[in-house]
Amino acid sequence: MKKFALVAVIVTGSLLLYAVGDFPAFGDAKSPANAGVEGGFSVSRYYITETAADTAVPNIVTAVLADYRGYDTFFETTVIFIAGLAIFAILRVANPGAPDRRDRPSSDSGVEGDHNRVIIGMTCRLLIPVIQLFALYVVAHGHHSPGGGFQGGVMLGASFILIAIASDLDTALRRFSERRYLALGCVGILIYGGFGLLCQLLDRHFLDYGVLHKLMGVTPVMARSHSMLGVEIGVAFTVTSVMFAIYANLSTRGELRSGL
Amino acid sequence: MIPAFDILILVFLVITAVIALKVRDLLSATMIFGIYSFLMCLLWAEMGAVDVAFTEAAVGAGVSAVFLIATIYNTRRRSSD
Amino acid sequence: MIVTLLSVVLILAGLVFFLGAAVGLVRFPDFYTRMHAAGKGDTLSSLLVVLGLAVWRLHDVHGLAGLREHWSILLVILKLLAICAFIMITSPTATHALMDAGFEDGIDPVIDGENNNALHGRRAQAPPADS
Repeated sequence: MKKFALVAVIVTGSLLLYAVGDFPAFGDAKSPANAGVEGGFSVSRYYITETAADTAVPNIVTAVLADYRGYDTFFETTVIFIAGLAIFAILRVANPGAPDRRDRPSSDSGVEGDHNRVIIGMTCRLLIPVIQLFALYVVAHGHHSPGGGFQGGVMLGASFILIAIASDLDTALRRFSERRYLALGCVGILIYGGFGLLCQLLDRHFLDYGVLHKLMGVTPVMARSHSMLGVEIGVAFTVTSVMFAIYANLSTRGELRSGL
Repeated sequence: MIPAFDILILVFLVITAVIALKVRDLLSATMIFGIYSFLMCLLWAEMGAVDVAFTEAAVGAGVSAVFLIATIYNTRRRSSD
Repeated sequence: MIVTLLSVVLILAGLVFFLGAAVGLVRFPDFYTRMHAAGKGDTLSSLLVVLGLAVWRLHDVHGLAGLREHWSILLVILKLLAICAFIMITSPTATHALMDAGFEDGIDPVIDGENNNALHGRRAQAPPADS
């Protein structure tokens, strides 16, 4: 079986390497993706030239991600949410405390343990607000710089994971309880889908944000920009809660107590 | 984009990928996988895809390593393969 | 000129300390001394390299009047200094946490070329049974 796998990997790899020869060079202006087929309409050229006029967003990546390809991103977020739900459904046990589980003694016994807790705890107390502020900045500033809902959400979730690692999971769960992260995960998806449905209610396509200017009181271009921010916030909600949910369930075998 | 730098990172990528597969100790494999992710992040940043590099740094190198360690903590540390 | 010299000296010093940390990581006999090399060398060398890069950015500023004009460069320098501050806080803490984890896991130091268990009595609890 292992030999078969090796042969399969080698064959696939050599086929892929063979196909690399047909790729256009890095940054080739004449490649079909950049110039369009036979000099015709090209998507990337459209993005590069028209994004600023269409959406008033300087960062083209954000505009493509949240507006032009918003449908894609919507289901990407849903995939992350479903992954979190799957881990929750597989691992979470309702009645913890079967005695044959590995029961570790709590490590903060003894003077030295307490001393060490102080150093790590103080550092985390110092750092976590900064991390969370930076995560919010990454979410909100995704229009102008690299970043957006996914990255900011992961950082926000990581800050809660840091609380759980530095002290224990109970401390983190007091700040971000199970009920809360499950609810926030759903709220994120609902925010994203809500923006799409709102556009449909105003007689446009799903996630065609331009029409929302009627509700926001701005020009259609700015409506697209603002809706992108709203959508990113939804993504950040979902990613934050899913990251923390996955960590909480993985580290405690779904018991949600005395984790890593 | 600097071709020599690219090739250097790509060589390191292949090396770390092979080691991560070969190592029996899963915790070491996780650490090497983290190095792999950081090299990937470096490569993307160097090629100009800063958004992707940012995502890779946050997800690949940061959180997924934590998830893997949390899983190893609750399962076995040695690979049977 | 002086900016170039200063930043090159800082970065070169950082690289020297990096080399020292790497050599120490390979050459030292046990976990604790290796962490000592990695923690100290890594912190100082990262600080020096980032400071050198911050000084290098001063190239585009011509005098104090230029500083007001190129405030975006000042912003970059401030960000680099913030990175310095975070490295200074996080890197020693990470080293400390790793040391602590190794200590609680029952790793013995090497003294006079042989493994001795001098730390066993001082440990807060018995090392957990290997699973």
